[in-house]
Amino acid sequence: MKLVQIAVLWTCLGASAVSLAGQPAAAQAPSPAAGKAPASAPVTPVPVTAPPPAPAAEVEENAPLPPPSSAAQKLYSAAKDDLLQIRMLLKNGRSQSSVGSGFMVGTTNLVLTNYHVVSQMAIDPDVYVGEFVDTNGKSGPVELLAVDVLHDLAVVRVKRTGTGFFDIPEKLVKLTQGQYLYSLGNPLDLGFAISEGSYNGIISRSFYDQLMFTGPINSGMSGGPSVTSDGGVAGVNVSKRRDGELVSFLVPIRYAQELLKKVALQTTAPKDFNPLIGQQLLVHQKAMIDRLLDAPLSLKSMGPYMVPVRESEQVRCWGRSNVKAEATFTADTMACAMESAIFVSDSQQTGHLSMTHQYVRSASLDAVRFAALASTLFKADNLGTTKDTRLTGPMCTEQFVRTKTLPLRAVTCVRAYRKFAGLYSFTLLTASTDDAKASLQSRLDVVGVSYENGVRTTRAFLEALGRGSKK
Amino acid sequence: MSAPYFIEMLARNGDVLHRHQVDQLPIRLGRGYDNDFILDDAFAAPNHAVVEAGENDTLVLRDLGTKNGVICKGKRYTSLPINGDTVIRLGHTMLRVRGADHQVKPELIDRTSHAWEGAVPGLVGMLLIGVFALFTMWLNDTQSFQLVRYLQALSYGIGAGLVWGGAWAFANRLFGRNARLGRHLFIFGCGLTAVTVWKLASSTIGYAFSLESFTRYGSHALITIVAGMVFYHMTTVKPHHTRRFATTCLILGLLASGLTLISNEQRSGRMADNLYMSVIMPPAMRISPDHSTDEFMVKVGDMKAKLDVERTRKVKDEGEDDE
Repeated sequence: MKLVQIAVLWTCLGASAVSLAGQPAAAQAPSPAAGKAPASAPVTPVPVTAPPPAPAAEVEENAPLPPPSSAAQKLYSAAKDDLLQIRMLLKNGRSQSSVGSGFMVGTTNLVLTNYHVVSQMAIDPDVYVGEFVDTNGKSGPVELLAVDVLHDLAVVRVKRTGTGFFDIPEKLVKLTQGQYLYSLGNPLDLGFAISEGSYNGIISRSFYDQLMFTGPINSGMSGGPSVTSDGGVAGVNVSKRRDGELVSFLVPIRYAQELLKKVALQTTAPKDFNPLIGQQLLVHQKAMIDRLLDAPLSLKSMGPYMVPVRESEQVRCWGRSNVKAEATFTADTMACAMESAIFVSDSQQTGHLSMTHQYVRSASLDAVRFAALASTLFKADNLGTTKDTRLTGPMCTEQFVRTKTLPLRAVTCVRAYRKFAGLYSFTLLTASTDDAKASLQSRLDVVGVSYENGVRTTRAFLEALGRGSKK
Repeated sequence: MSAPYFIEMLARNGDVLHRHQVDQLPIRLGRGYDNDFILDDAFAAPNHAVVEAGENDTLVLRDLGTKNGVICKGKRYTSLPINGDTVIRLGHTMLRVRGADHQVKPELIDRTSHAWEGAVPGLVGMLLIGVFALFTMWLNDTQSFQLVRYLQALSYGIGAGLVWGGAWAFANRLFGRNARLGRHLFIFGCGLTAVTVWKLASSTIGYAFSLESFTRYGSHALITIVAGMVFYHMTTVKPHHTRRFATTCLILGLLASGLTLISNEQRSGRMADNLYMSVIMPPAMRISPDHSTDEFMVKVGDMKAKLDVERTRKVKDEGEDDE
């Protein structure tokens, strides 16, 4: 399934030696009941490794940058004094564990970057410290002031001031589709670079608006600015689609403005960012679930059954079937998942939702063997273990339940976030119990929601499952 | 003790390895050829000990001044009164002396059915194993019918049965007298049948009455079945140690159960084998009633408190829950 490679990739350079990114998406992002349907891993933090050796591979991976225009030359020379590389270092040994970019805001000592560039420092301040390196090779410590996990922004303070090139004016830069934008940063820790591309409108596939930038953004350029030809900051480099060519995304600068205003109001930097991140995630989940449930879930028919789905800009559905001559049964799968999630750390993404329905029936299998098949399909192994440092082990409850029109076997498993109080992950598994030779098996995963919202979503989903009038 | 006397060489477990009749006292024991009973033991002296008549019709064993001496129950004696149950060690040889008037235990009642030996139970066992293999294959076969896969399953099943039964038959030949392969195959076949019956029954009962513990702790029933099977194999090898074998199997079973519980706890944080019952059966198999979604959601809501407690439990780096 090609559609699956919808993995939007974070251009965060880094995550190098750290726990394999991408892994968490698999853990977090629900995979459909039978484990067969498209494994849509919505957002994968870039598993960018920039280990010093292996330059050949990096060069390979890097599409050659288009030749810089004179505008780009001018821009770069004007901007380079305000351009920084932000590194996360292990406190012990001061070896770098991830690298991104950032830029000085106006003439202040504030630097704007992505949250995912500094996430290690925000979550484990005991283990990681930040450092900046400027275009002249000078370095110094950075102090984290504020984070906006939802839009992936962060503000850090450094011991130097900007020249005022990257001014963030009250009035936003006006952008028109096709307009040239220049993206700055330090791709793959190779050196500072500028790349040219064009602005292509606001996309709303991710939960929060992002700008589509048709130009190269590579790992390590995250947190760098994208500017218009006259130097107005349009957005902050954030991610790219790994399955596309030059399809990159920027965080609109207005979110950065809001964050900078908050920084101006706060007197001291928070000591522990975890509660703040938890609060932001709570805000996100509320918005997400409210938007999901603002109208009743739409119903689609799968054979005689009616199944709830939500198709919207953010939640996309894909279907597939096992049209295999050798099989003695037919399975149709419909999987809907949010294509984005909130990046919390290299190993954790949250604020995500997916639902899968699988309709299995067989004309040739007898009831006993069909029962064996249905039992196998109903077994989900990937509900998580207790060895997880981020979430508790799953706790499940199960019952025979009857919705208005359909008797079901229902299982709900819940896990709690250890670091963020009040956030949980819900998984609902159901299997219809009305037919000896057909089974509708559904799965709902809601990741990173409050208990109340988890229950609310589970209930809405469960109650919407039903059987149509035709037998 | 009265003549003739019998000198018995014993194995460590008490089995008689060799028995020698001596008509009169004294009985000279040693490695040399001038003895009444020759010890083929490098640690025995040429003239090691002698058995003589003691007072009141008893026997006395006397050391003839050897380096290694006469040992009984770990102690060294120069002279030692012995009876029919005294086991003495000369060098590496364990001996016992019994007179013709030694009282033996009454005969054991033979409960072994000697007709159920050889080919008949062997074939029945193979049949059970074959049926098990084919049934398992059939139950889980979701592809279109292909004879070769069933034949494969059958041959794997029979092969496994022969390996397992063969191993026990080998042990039987080693420690008992006969191989009794047929019996061992039969036991294995019965074990597999019991496993199948348990699986089907537990799933059915679990599903029908919504009794999830039947599937949740099913592995312990399987361990019991395996322990039972091992017990029957062992008593087939040595039919008269029933109690000892029962205790052994019980301990093994408990150990296995305990290990299962611990590993489940480590893996999922729960003692149960699985987080939920994944059995789905035809509607006709169900007896327990449906619940409303409200009831279910109340149950879901009830988990919050426990999760919140668990959440705050510290996790040691990367894993192991501290207990």
